[in-house]
Amino acid sequence: MKQIAEHKDNAESVIKHAGFSFLYIRNLSPIPVEEVQYHSAVIIEVKNYDFVRLMVSSIRANHSPDIYLKPIFLLKKDAQDQPVLDELSDGAIKGLDELDLVVPTVERISTRVQDLTFTNSISFEAQVITKLITLLYTKEQKTVEPFPYIYSNIGYYFPLLSVNFAQEEETVALDILKIAEEEGILRSDYYDRVYLCSSCSSNHLSYREVCPKCSSSNTTPDDIIHHFPCGYVGPMQDFKNEIDDKLDCPKCNKRLRHIGVDYDKPSVIHECNNCNHKFQDYHVHAKCLSCHSDKSVESLKSTEIMSYRLTKKGELAAIKGFVTTTKDIDEVIGTIKYDTFKTMLKYEIERLKQTEGSSNICAINISNSSQVYSKLGSDLQRGLLKDLVSVIRSNIRSSDVIAFESSSTIVMSMNAIPNKIAKKIIGEMVSLLNDLIKTSFEDLDVLFDTKVVALDYAKTHDAHLKELISDFS
Amino acid sequence: MDELLDNYIRFLATLTPAYFVELFWFYFVFEFVRYFLLEFVVLNLAKIKSIFNKSNKEDARRRLFMENPLVSILIPGKNEGKHLYKLVNSLGEQTYKNIEIIVVCDGSDDDTPIIGRSLEKAGLIDLFIRNEVRGGKASAANTALRFAKGKYIIHLDADCSYDNDAMEKILIPFFEDERVGGVGGNVSVRNYKESLVTTLQGIEYYNTITTGRTVTSYLGIYRIISGAFGAFRADVIHQIKGWDIGPGLDGDITVKIRKKGYKIRFAQDANCLTSVPNTFRKLIKQRLRWDKSLVRFRMRKHKDVLMPTASFKLLDFFSAFENITYNVILNFKWYVYLLIMLTFYRPLFLNIFITNILLYTTTNFVKFIVYSLYREKAHNSMSYFLIYLPCMVFYFGIYLRVVRTIAYIQELFFKKSYQDPWNPRKTSVHAKHLGI
Repeated sequence: MKQIAEHKDNAESVIKHAGFSFLYIRNLSPIPVEEVQYHSAVIIEVKNYDFVRLMVSSIRANHSPDIYLKPIFLLKKDAQDQPVLDELSDGAIKGLDELDLVVPTVERISTRVQDLTFTNSISFEAQVITKLITLLYTKEQKTVEPFPYIYSNIGYYFPLLSVNFAQEEETVALDILKIAEEEGILRSDYYDRVYLCSSCSSNHLSYREVCPKCSSSNTTPDDIIHHFPCGYVGPMQDFKNEIDDKLDCPKCNKRLRHIGVDYDKPSVIHECNNCNHKFQDYHVHAKCLSCHSDKSVESLKSTEIMSYRLTKKGELAAIKGFVTTTKDIDEVIGTIKYDTFKTMLKYEIERLKQTEGSSNICAINISNSSQVYSKLGSDLQRGLLKDLVSVIRSNIRSSDVIAFESSSTIVMSMNAIPNKIAKKIIGEMVSLLNDLIKTSFEDLDVLFDTKVVALDYAKTHDAHLKELISDFS
Repeated sequence: MDELLDNYIRFLATLTPAYFVELFWFYFVFEFVRYFLLEFVVLNLAKIKSIFNKSNKEDARRRLFMENPLVSILIPGKNEGKHLYKLVNSLGEQTYKNIEIIVVCDGSDDDTPIIGRSLEKAGLIDLFIRNEVRGGKASAANTALRFAKGKYIIHLDADCSYDNDAMEKILIPFFEDERVGGVGGNVSVRNYKESLVTTLQGIEYYNTITTGRTVTSYLGIYRIISGAFGAFRADVIHQIKGWDIGPGLDGDITVKIRKKGYKIRFAQDANCLTSVPNTFRKLIKQRLRWDKSLVRFRMRKHKDVLMPTASFKLLDFFSAFENITYNVILNFKWYVYLLIMLTFYRPLFLNIFITNILLYTTTNFVKFIVYSLYREKAHNSMSYFLIYLPCMVFYFGIYLRVVRTIAYIQELFFKKSYQDPWNPRKTSVHAKHLGI
């Protein structure tokens, strides 16, 4: 993080205090968000909440760590609670004379930002996860809680994450949280369930009782009356006369006098004013206020809203850099899923018990992956992985399989060959890979570590894999 | 035993025709003449008529399908949910397709509302109405009637099943004669193999419904359209303002239609199968209710049919008169016969008793076999019933007669039908007060 002392200083917008430069954003005086990177923290005057929301969101949604990680403090005179804004900011002060109170927070965040390694993640999902976990790390926050939020399209808002998405794309936040959970970065607990429009995933729905035949909500209910003496049953309308407001039985002409004694109302019937259909059990439709679709509630998407906790692995990923998700590396052609690799290894060990042959598993690890990936854009990262796999594939037999253990470690099988030969092949493979890097990627130093483990049918497949990757931290 | 047999043979040898009539007048005058001779003659006439009427019937069928009127099928009931899916599926198989199905759940306390709603949602039922508070069978049928849109109304019981051409067959008589206001379907016993009592009811239904109603229908005195399977012209049923409080509402509505001047027909070929009570105890409960309704409706509510009023109709008179005579009067007359035999012919009583049993049993066999030639093809194997026929004399002649007697006494002297839990008390109180 660099502080550029000589940037164009606006005397009224910048406050120097305790060695830190605070960018002060006054009410309804927007400042280009790029300005934020030149200061230690941001103070936003809270008068108009829409303006504050806009400013805070534009900072936290920015893709540059120099901007989105900056401490934000709200200057508010009243103590009105705005949970989402409070979550997105790092604290509040009542006046500029309270700046001393936030200095320790600025110091802490600045220090923690130094711990972070920023890599260029392969996929958009990985980039957003990186943003989330780095923010959590700098804020010393372990949880990602959903907030019920009126401005949210899905009803719940994960401030540090959802801020990256336009309202109509908020469900992507849920997908990303799921991916992060699958990667072991977050752990989830059930929080609530929401029903979303099946067309546009909006939670802004209007529920109405409608006619089961024509779906019109223009219906009128009427009590059904049972006249005991003659057994006539019909809607109350049948019993009304044109002279007074009393009820007379249309069958026996007797006046209805005492509910429970000479008549009762056993049920209610609805009449549709659109198609005249009579019914008791109306359907419930949900009209989406976002896309205007009007569908039965059964067609709504039931979606679980979870609250999340950052795991130790997640914390480490924030520090070391998070490059790619399993989903990304699963998509590299020529590889199989790591789980499938494990299963195949299990069967190979079983086979060896019978044949007593010689098989191996090998691993190639990019030891400086963080540096390598930081230098490459996401397309180039994908290209690099693809090229590596293609070189490996051409040097092993077609019966052998390749998988990604992580974004920096490729594992493969080398069955039915002696350990010595396997080691020789892997050595040759590395030199080929180095040649490939030299020719395809200029000024890129990629360091490869390798390991070959001969399969021993007395050991489990897990023990083999542990041994294989134990040297790669 | 030998002595008994010798004694009996000697008794038979003494029987001259005059003596026979003196001892067995009850069987000869009432049972033999009415339930064998008359029925036999009428069945033949009906058969001849149906042969000559064949083209008329085919023409009526053609007109039914050409007009293709909407037919509302009403299924009122309490706790009938378990039967609904099977029933609506079987209705989907009907050859007559233009139907709307209306189910009324009369204060059910089981899963009927859930089942009904789901069938309505699935489109298998056109309208499901749930009355939270039970109002009784008549109110449930009237609820369905109020929302029915059909030109014809068919009333069904949920626990019955129907031949796939039953709806078509029950509608044809309306197109044969435009003065027909109601048509009764043929009800047979589905569970006739379940127990002795169901088998005996199977035989009874053949005699009293399949044969009996063919006869009364031909004579124009057919008087009860079963609730299990009955069809009505919607305009007629609206004219008489639906069903009145039961029990016995089937017979009541038939009389009301007759009084309006419409004809009532029996469609022997419109087949419906029903489950009957499977124990003698349950059967007593059912028959007490049915038999009480005869007194309540024929002898009280509709006694005007028997009076020489301005609206007097001979056929209606005969319909009620025959019913009252053969069911109520002769029922008591039988006790008179028993008393006479016990008083004046005491030494011969055992022989008279044995002869009566033999006479009734023989008649039962002859009737069952001969009349089967006049029936449409039945679902049940006729031979199955043959070995049970000897039991009929005890079942029909003694068991049901005693039950009937109890029911008539209970209703004539104590108006017990108003206390029957079959109807909610709130409605029975008013019915009793109004004397209906």
